[in-house]
This record gives sequence, structure tokens and C-alpha cells, in this order.
Amino acid sequence: MNEAMVISLLLGSLAAMVPIALTSVGAVISERAGVVNIGYEGILMFSAFFGAIFAELAGNGWVGILGGAFVGLLFGALHGVLTVYLKGDHVIPGIGLNLLGAGAVAFGIRAYWGTAGQHTVPSDAQISPLWMDAFGNSLSPMVPITIAVAIVAWWVLFKTPFGLRIRAVGENPEAADALGINVELYRFTAVLIASALAGVAGAYLSVDWLGTVTKQIAAGRGFIALANMVFSGWNPLIALGGAFLFGFFDNLAIYIQNNPWLAGTIPWQFIATLPYVVTLIVVAGIIGRARPPKWDGRPYKRE
Amino acid sequence: MEEQTPVLEMRDIVKVYPDGTKALKGVTIKVYEGEILGLLGENGAGKTTLMKILFGMLKPTRGKIFLRGKEVRFKSPADAIANGIGMVHQHFTLVEVFNALENIILGMEGHGLLSKIDVENARKKLQKLMDELNFQVPLDVPVENLPVGVQQRIEILKMLYRDVDILILDEPTAVLTPIEVRELFAVLRKLKEQGKTIIFISHKLNEVMEITDRVTVIRKGEVVGTVKTSEATPQLLARMMVGRDVVLRIEKPPKEPGEVIFRVEDLWVKGDRGEDAVRGLTFEVRAGEIFGIAGVEGNGQSELIEAIAGLRKVEKGKVYLKGVDITGKRPRELYDMGMAHIPEDRTHMGLILEMSVMENSILGMHWRKEFSKGFLLDWNKVEEHAKRLIEEFEVSAPGTKAPVKSLSGGNQQKLIVAREVSKRPDFIIAAQPTRGVDVASTEYIRNYLVKLRNENKAVLLVSADLDEVLQLSDRMAIMYEGQFMGIVKPDEVTEEQIGLMMGGVKGEPQK
Repeated sequence: MNEAMVISLLLGSLAAMVPIALTSVGAVISERAGVVNIGYEGILMFSAFFGAIFAELAGNGWVGILGGAFVGLLFGALHGVLTVYLKGDHVIPGIGLNLLGAGAVAFGIRAYWGTAGQHTVPSDAQISPLWMDAFGNSLSPMVPITIAVAIVAWWVLFKTPFGLRIRAVGENPEAADALGINVELYRFTAVLIASALAGVAGAYLSVDWLGTVTKQIAAGRGFIALANMVFSGWNPLIALGGAFLFGFFDNLAIYIQNNPWLAGTIPWQFIATLPYVVTLIVVAGIIGRARPPKWDGRPYKRE
Repeated sequence: MEEQTPVLEMRDIVKVYPDGTKALKGVTIKVYEGEILGLLGENGAGKTTLMKILFGMLKPTRGKIFLRGKEVRFKSPADAIANGIGMVHQHFTLVEVFNALENIILGMEGHGLLSKIDVENARKKLQKLMDELNFQVPLDVPVENLPVGVQQRIEILKMLYRDVDILILDEPTAVLTPIEVRELFAVLRKLKEQGKTIIFISHKLNEVMEITDRVTVIRKGEVVGTVKTSEATPQLLARMMVGRDVVLRIEKPPKEPGEVIFRVEDLWVKGDRGEDAVRGLTFEVRAGEIFGIAGVEGNGQSELIEAIAGLRKVEKGKVYLKGVDITGKRPRELYDMGMAHIPEDRTHMGLILEMSVMENSILGMHWRKEFSKGFLLDWNKVEEHAKRLIEEFEVSAPGTKAPVKSLSGGNQQKLIVAREVSKRPDFIIAAQPTRGVDVASTEYIRNYLVKLRNENKAVLLVSADLDEVLQLSDRMAIMYEGQFMGIVKPDEVTEEQIGLMMGGVKGEPQK
């Protein structure tokens, strides 16, 4: 493996890290506040689709990212109203959103662009990289942004009053309520932050990393992000590390598949499972058995 | 005292719950500045309801609250705290994974929601508070790892940090050891010295006698009367509380114990976190004997009971019932062999709250032929059985088909005792048999345990209520960190000696 290969692998890993890290960090914030949302896969789908539309209309990729965040925010608000204010079940809305996302985006691509299953985002609507070499390796500005988001999220959760309150309403909302903390407001805010981050992640898929909208663009990343959140022990920094690890092995698998010498000896199906298996083992091994927030997924009703 | 304006007055408070239950029927109480007022009453008398109304947790149906002569109405606990009224609940409201400091400053962390919390400043303020009150709590340990007594002090600190000057304590001693109770009382006296007003809710006469200045007695949602503690006697208060003379002593005729029914040899059991919770216990319970186990909760009593009752794995050692090795046998086999178990937590282990009285009355023997008709349950026989239990044990229930959750705590407990006894056991485990139970039911249950003993049954009593163990046991052991600090006869030890053993000092070995 030469130097160029290492750079290519590293940059590829960082690019793959972004959507999973953003979604995981958001999910950590939401669950720390006690709200479960399994609908991130659906949010990724919708925001990838609408993000591309916004970006193409404005001729600017950043508008696509903001549009994705906005779309995520809308679905988050819906989930928040159902779970936080109407005290509904936390899992059912997510199932609905995931199913809807899968169907609606496939239909939307056909209806809006008139192509079947896939649409390439024109380069003027894509985010231009920070750095790029002659071989096509590039570094997106979303990479440093994502790392910053994870660090800020960790700092806010564990060092500020806002974070203390988020964690309190997820652990023991009754105690928080008794001290005058508006449980519903903090939970709702956390859901909004989480879904907006997932929205950014979705838009990043279409207007930055992949530069295309396909009917399977999320490819399970919403679910991987959830698993990564659990294995991180609900910690944004470890979730960032887990996402990078996944990205690394994801790229390594592609590298192995493209290497005729290795690909012949190991079945590619086996190699394709590598990122999933290794990420789970490593992250789970570091953290051990983490304990979820005590009121995670439970609606809070005053006596 | 009477001519000054009360710092707090609750006037003619009525509370009717949506289901029509009248919890409070026009209660008026007055609290004067700097005093400790005892609020005495049985469970279900309405003490806690009254205080929840004061603390903004419940809305009164009718009635007014005056704070320093001005009418107030609190919409939430936070509102009450802002007005200088704090409450420490019977079940603590602490965030278990937070440390003391985080729990205390939560909600008033300082300026700026997104700026760094000034931990050092908060620590200084708390240290000053603790120094004034002459006690310390570790500020950096997650509260779930701290003993209950310390958690309670954190709750008190939490309120004082918010500058409350009226402090309500709901049954604060229910979970404490005698030593912790003494420490709590020292703190309360110190607070009184500082000019704080305290409302002390309890159903324990001796505690009310010791710590309060005046006592208001509540019975069935009404104030029976208010007396100065210095002019009261425990007998007078008991009569006011229950409405009749209570036998505070249990009649227990002397009795020679018979053969060994139950025996444990070098028993080792692990706790939930893998620690050795029970460490090499050996004891026996004879026919016609009540063997009591006292000790602060969390010293392995629960694990011991669960191991004996077939609910937890025995790591090492043997358990014998009537000479047969029952180590590792399943609960059903144990029931069929003549064991009965009154579990320590009635709402989680003793009853299925959503199910009816009738259904609950046969749990643990529902497989027996007497309740079945072929493959089906014979509901007529089950109902007969439930009716018999209700009648014999004076369980007050709306009917055999009513859900068990509609019964009061005392009646739920009587139903469990009735059910377990109806299994016709030779050996009965009674774990915390009167916890959270009103005085009348407590008396009934305690007398019934003595009756079982008189009928030559073997009874293993495990209780955190030291008085209960002292009163009922023929022999008693004091458990500390999974071991017995001594096995003694209740009338041959002083409370002082027992207190020492509860704190981990080994007693004199008995012959």
C-alpha cells in the first residue's frame, strides 16, 4: 500500500464518517433527553431528496444543506409533538417515517426529475471541496464541521446547564419537573436538534459526498447510526470515533474488492460485512455494557 | 404562641379525587415560624395529600393557603420552592446517575444556559451550607452509590440551596437506621436553631414525641386535634390517631420451640452486581418459633430471602426444609413442600395490581386441583376461596372482582398474608410484612404471625423495622454486609447493643 493509497483511504473514511456521525450525535442528544426516534433512515431519505432540490433551485450546495436541516426539523417537530406533547409511543412514528421515506423518494425522483431511481446533482449545486488532488481525492468542508459538531455536542451535554437539564429530563423527569425545569420544552428541543442534524446528514449525501439522489440513498445509515449511538454509550465523542471506524472499514472493504489479488481469495459478501462487524466489536468492546438513560422512550406525564 | 400570625395556614382544604374518594374533608392547619410541627396520622389519613397540595403537586378541590398572611396558590413544586417552601419526599426525586452537586444545582446552575457551569462556586456555597449544618455529603459520587441516609441529606441540601425557610419532610425516617435517625434529628434541630420552620410527617409516635414542638393529628381526612408535644403522651396520640385504644404491645405467650423445620448451612449468594451479598450464613428456624432478622436494608437480606425462596441462585451452601435438601429447587416445588413467602415488595412481587382480588387470591397455588375443573379454572371455587380470605382476614375490598390496585396498602398486604397462609405452610417467610401498612392492619398482621407461631409453624421474619423484630421474635439475628453480627434473644439485649451490631460491630457470642 503506497502513500497515495493511504491518503485515499483516509479521506474516503472521513467522507463516510460524516452522515453516520451527524445522525448518531443527534440521536445521542435526543435519547439523553429521553426521546427515542428510529425514523432517522426516513429523515435521511427525505432530506437527501429535498436537499438536492433546494440546492439545484438556488444553484448552491449550502442552500441544500440548510434545506435538508429544515426538512429534518419538520419531521422532528412532528415526532416531538406526537411523543413529547401527546405522550404517544416513541417507536411507531419512526416506522411510519422510514416506510414513507422509502416509497416517497423513489416516487419523487421520477415525478420531479423524470428519471427512474437515480438523478445526478449538477456540479454547481454541489458543495465544493476544501482540498482536492489530481487523483480525485477530496476533503469536504463538512468533515471539520462534523468533528466540531460532535465536540460541541459533548461539551454542551456535559459542561453546561442546558446539557445537565437535557440529561436530567432523560434520567428522571420528575426530579427535573420538581425543580422547575420545563420537561416537555427540553425534550422537544432535543428532538429538533437531533432531526435537524439528521437532515444535514441526508443533504450531505446528495449535494456533497455522493452527488446523486437514488431511491436507496440512505442505505441503512440511519440504522447504523442508531447502533453506533447505543455502542457509544450515548457519548457524542465516542459516537464520532465509531462513525470514523465504520467509514474506515467501509472504504477498506471497497479497496479489497477492487484489488484483484485479494478479491479472488475472499468472497466479496464476506468483505462487505466487515465495516458492520468490526465497528460493532470495537465500539462495544471499548464501552462494555452501557446503560441507557433511565426514562429513554418513556413519555412523562405529571401525576 | 397562639396570638402571633402563623407563617403558614392551610384553611379548610377539601380534596375529592375524580373517582369520588374524599381524601381531605376540610382540613385546617397552622404552622408558626421556627417550630417543628408534627403531622401525625395513619397511612391513608391524608397527610401526604395535604402536603402535596401545599407543595403545588395537587390542586385542592376547595380551600385556601395563606403564607405570612397573604393568600397564595402554587401551580407547581417549582412555584412553591420559589416562595420558600421545600419538600423532601418519601421516595426521593434524585437523578441517580448524577452526583450530589449536579442534583443540587440542577435548575439553578447560574448564568447562561450554554456557558460552562461554575462548579467551584457551587461547591463553595454547598460547603458553607454543610459546615453550618455540621454534616458532610460526598459531592462527586453518583448518588445511586450512596446510602439512603446520605441521599436524604442531599435532598435536604437541595431545598436549602434554594433558600427555603419552610421544609416539609414526608416520613423521613421510614428508610433510616436508628443511628441515621439520630443524625437526621440533629440536623433538624440545627435547622430550627437557624430559624427554619419544619413540618414533620410521620406515623411513628416516639419520633413525633421526640422531635416536634406541636402535633396535629389527622384521621380519615379530618383534623382530630392539635396538641403541644410537651403536654402529650404516646398513648394520647395513639388514641387520637387510631380513634380507639391501641394495643401497642403484642400478646406473646412463652413457648418452647419444637423440632428444626428450616435450616441454612454456610449459604453464599451473589447480588445483582456480582458482589457477595450473603456471606456464609448458618441458622435454623424451629417449629413454634419466630426467627427475626434485623439490620439496615441492603445488607443482603433481600438476596437471602430470594435464595431461600428459589428466586436467586445459591453459590455455595445448603438449604433444608423439614430435613430435605431444597437448595436450587424452584418456587413451585417449594410451595408444594410447605413453604409460603410474603415478599418484601407487595406491588412488584406479591400481587399483580391490574388483576382482580379473586385472581390474586390463588397466585402460587392456581395449579392445585381444588381450583380446577379439568383443564380449566373453576371460577366458582376461586371466588369462594377469595371470599373466605376476605372475611377471615377482614380485608376491606369493594368485591372479589375489583382490581387489587383499588385496595389500600394495608388491605393489599392482608390479602397477601391471607393467601400465603391459605397454602397451609409449615414454614413462612415474612419479609417486611408491615411496610407501608396502617396501624390497625400492622397490629392484625403482627398478631397473626404470633398466632402462626403458637400453632407450631416456623416463621422467618425479615424486617427493617427494628421494633417489629424486637416485639415478635423469639430469637433474632442482626445482619450486616451479608453476615450475622450476632444471634440474640430480644429481651436479653439493649437497643444500644443492637444499634452497634447494625453498624457492623460483632455482638457477644451466645451460648
